[in-house]
Amino acid sequence: MKLIALLTILIAIIFVVCLSLGPSSVGFEDVIMLLNGKADSNVKYIIIDYRMPRIITSMLVGVALATAGCSMQALFRNPLADPYILGISSGASVGAAVVIFLGIATTFNIMLSAFIFSLITAFVVYKLGETKIGVPIYTLLLAGVAMASFLSGLTSLLIYLSGKEMHQIVFWIMGGFWAARWEKVWFITFPITFSIAYVFLNAWNLNAILMGEEHALSVGIDVESFKRRIIGVATLLTSSSVAVSGIIGFVGIIIPHAMRLIVGENHKKLIPATILFGAAFMPIVDLISRTITDGEIPVGIITALLGAPFFIYLLRRAKVQ
Amino acid sequence: MILEVKNVRVKLGSIEALKDITFKIEKNEIVALLGPNGSGKSTILRTIFGIIKPYVGAVYLDFKNIEKFDFRQIAKRIGYLPQENPETNLRVIDIVMLGRTPHLNGFKQPSKKDLEIALNALKSVGMNGFKNRKFSELSGGERQKVMIARVFAQQPEILLLDEPTAHLDISSQIEVMELVSKKVNEGLAAIIAIHDINLATSFCNRILMVKDGKIVRAGKPEEVISRSTIKEVFNADVDVKKFGGKIYVVPKMKTRNNKNRLIHVICGGGSGTEIIYKLSEKGYRISAGVLNVLDSDWQAVMDVEGILIDEAPFSPISNEAYEKNIKWIEKSDAVILTNLSVGIGNILNLKAALKAAEEKKMFVINKTPFKERNFVGKEADELYRLILEKSRVFKNEEEVLDELEKIFG
Repeated sequence: MKLIALLTILIAIIFVVCLSLGPSSVGFEDVIMLLNGKADSNVKYIIIDYRMPRIITSMLVGVALATAGCSMQALFRNPLADPYILGISSGASVGAAVVIFLGIATTFNIMLSAFIFSLITAFVVYKLGETKIGVPIYTLLLAGVAMASFLSGLTSLLIYLSGKEMHQIVFWIMGGFWAARWEKVWFITFPITFSIAYVFLNAWNLNAILMGEEHALSVGIDVESFKRRIIGVATLLTSSSVAVSGIIGFVGIIIPHAMRLIVGENHKKLIPATILFGAAFMPIVDLISRTITDGEIPVGIITALLGAPFFIYLLRRAKVQ
Repeated sequence: MILEVKNVRVKLGSIEALKDITFKIEKNEIVALLGPNGSGKSTILRTIFGIIKPYVGAVYLDFKNIEKFDFRQIAKRIGYLPQENPETNLRVIDIVMLGRTPHLNGFKQPSKKDLEIALNALKSVGMNGFKNRKFSELSGGERQKVMIARVFAQQPEILLLDEPTAHLDISSQIEVMELVSKKVNEGLAAIIAIHDINLATSFCNRILMVKDGKIVRAGKPEEVISRSTIKEVFNADVDVKKFGGKIYVVPKMKTRNNKNRLIHVICGGGSGTEIIYKLSEKGYRISAGVLNVLDSDWQAVMDVEGILIDEAPFSPISNEAYEKNIKWIEKSDAVILTNLSVGIGNILNLKAALKAAEEKKMFVINKTPFKERNFVGKEADELYRLILEKSRVFKNEEEVLDELEKIFG
């Protein structure tokens, strides 16, 4: 409980700090002025129409990826499982690349196409992994790996063929929040809040599934149906995130894992902690990405740079144990 | 409560895993499904729980087909413990609380009462001091007890336990079986898949012997456990022994067939016990003499069901016994003279031994100097010297056995 209160306060502080910082000179005083209704239209535009949707998007995406990662780790009973394990990121890349390749790229088109392609990918992977006796986790994993490699081949082909639009695709894949607008926020708010609520309410069953499918069955959980629903919401969370921000790696592994070290494995505590930490973590990384240089570094690069050492740390820890 | 498995046939892939399984269980009963690995025990348990659906036949819980229940309803009444323990860092109490899952509503908010039930379950297996420990930090026996507490927390009417004692040391095995026994006495029923025959006979009221997906024998332990049924089901050679009201099995040594070789042992006072048992283990037929009744060597020959040439307790060897001894020496393939002590009472044994030595089939075990074992005098010294001259002499039992192996093996 203490941790939850702490994280909530932290999120509020981060929200204000992120609103007050950026490449332009608009700062904390301007935020205060805005609250008093005294800010000019330019300041208002930067804070309300630029920074605010960006912070909210990054929070939603942080929460979504962290929660999806946490559910996948429980389902796969493997701390290295991540939200992209079903090939969703590769599907989204193809979706974005197709739109750019066809020359019909608008913010909205890319988002929609990435979203739809990632949903389709997850669905196909699920169907490929299906057997007579349900969907064994390992066949799902293999189907995901196969699909991902096929789709990244396709993405490379599209990049190769798209000539001077090439950089646009590559930049999209790297992931970031520079194109965040209110329309994106509206697009993902419902699927993400719905899915988060679902995972939150099913924390107990995630504990059961962590024991193994046979044990979950033995306490009365219809495992196949539960698995389907968790994969469904995790897909919704991941697809929504990828659609608005491209591929941001490692967040889905680092956050749940860090929380697991602090609060333990019980999902009744782990899920709320993961949600809140996801909301706190992502805007900070985004803040770094947009202030560390004159221009902007894609967030995906920063998370990858942070993620790899963390991965190695986990590996070393596992060795010691 | 009554659980009925009726004419159940199950296919796993293209293999028929269960072939016409039928049995019944009521409360206060522990039924063992006894059979080797892969015989279909786990499949029977999973079918009862409704995880696998039979293509012929059905499982009935209080006369209602189990397929009519959903998993939550089944889990309220049947506590199923899969064989493999989970690998998890969840705390012990979190795991036991999962036993309450079928009793919780959709939002899975456990009440104080649920926690109380879980804590009681943990207490009943003697693990209440472990509630905040991580599961992964426990020993095998402790983990199994926690898992059993989880099943108890479900408050089921029937327990289905899949190899609950596998991979446990003997004290944990007994502890686990006693916990189950106690619970069953309180009015539950238990079906236990198990491959340890002795645990099954010690703790279960009934045994169903399972082989290749079929129940090949069913009944009380003493009715179904025999040399021939164990051979049939497990393809193992065992001896079945009775001890008190219980029966148990012990492995039988694989013996080479030396049955047509007769070894005669001249011994006494315990000097022959070791060689008699060892010869018997190797499969030789044994005769021995002359021995006083109740001599410890006499006891050994009785144990291995050998032929005895004996004399009344504490009496000197009679001529009659001596003659009989000679007769068996003549019949035997080899004669062994042990490191025996010689007195007036048994000096005739040395004479008999000399006879054997002259026939060139004498093996002498000479461990300690004869003069320490001679309570007669010169006559015996002379006899022993003559025997040694015409015999093969060895320092201990192993050497003799090796030599016999070379000759007869």
